[in-house]
Amino acid sequence: MDDLGLHIALFLLSAGVIVAVTCMYTEAEDGKALRLFPRRYGTFVLVSGVIVAAMIVIQNTLASVH
Amino acid sequence: MPSLDASDRPAVNPNVAALLTWLVPGAGHFLLGQMRLALAAFILIEGLYVAGLALTGGAFLELLAPEIRGRFAGALTPEVGNFGAFLLHVRDIDFSDLTPPPFDGALFIGLALTSTSGILNLILASRAHFDARARSGAVIEGAAVHPAKAALLGWLIPGAGHLAQGRVARGVFCFVLITGMFTIGCVLAEGTNLDRTRHFYYWAGQTLLGPTAFVAEYLSGHPLMEIRPRYSDAGVMLASVAGVLNVLLLLDVYGFSDAKLFGRPLATEQKATGGVGQEAA
Repeated sequence: MDDLGLHIALFLLSAGVIVAVTCMYTEAEDGKALRLFPRRYGTFVLVSGVIVAAMIVIQNTLASVH
Repeated sequence: MPSLDASDRPAVNPNVAALLTWLVPGAGHFLLGQMRLALAAFILIEGLYVAGLALTGGAFLELLAPEIRGRFAGALTPEVGNFGAFLLHVRDIDFSDLTPPPFDGALFIGLALTSTSGILNLILASRAHFDARARSGAVIEGAAVHPAKAALLGWLIPGAGHLAQGRVARGVFCFVLITGMFTIGCVLAEGTNLDRTRHFYYWAGQTLLGPTAFVAEYLSGHPLMEIRPRYSDAGVMLASVAGVLNVLLLLDVYGFSDAKLFGRPLATEQKATGGVGQEAA
């Protein structure tokens, strides 16, 4: 796989922006929005990781074209 | 605080005002009796669309690859925000045999104008909705900048709507996040994302960043590419997502001003007092 590290870094960066913006949308007060960020970011990355794992498993089993 | 008592004004359904504006720019404000605003908005928004058509020669949906052309192909374009003009445009030209000249400067300026017309009309429709509600309810004068004005500023420059509301730290933070993400996308894609003929729908996402995207597109100069940039897919995605995220920020500034002007708690404050959604705790 090419540049796995770069792709992971880009994912973490874009996930950070997405979660930060949704935190600001959810919470009008800056302090509260900031406190929401770590848990939501962790959840976002974790759930995305689970989806990636499921896709890799499916790609190599049910949806394999080899 | 002083308030505008609007009990003597005839009620106008806000949804009708917004829907009419969507179909014909200014129609909602015409219904509300704001003739000057209605006329100025109609001339500006339809003028942008007509000027865009003159520059593109009507080229629009034919930029789509043949395999993704369909009945609702235009539904995800910014032009759909000016629905009346969009319908006439599609009815008269549709997927014509027009072949837009490649990398023609006039074509790209024209596309920017028609898409700007659509987005401005959506902001105008949101203004008509607010103005209709303001007629039947008491608005606290000076409590906040008009929601549609805040949204317009946020579209012109990400974060500017927050600045106008006095939320400086949030505005600066939003500007850095959104323009930073867009810039990284442009760098990764080496500018290939800034071209509607290459990325029809992703380009539509970028228009939600307003002039920032158009200026970047102009500066890129639509270079001819001999080799596909290595990270073009990631770049196109990041730049487009930055535009879509700006919509959340526009909704944030609109909702903030709306709540302040009507003197009611923000949605999150309502949740807190109602004992629901105590996620922050």
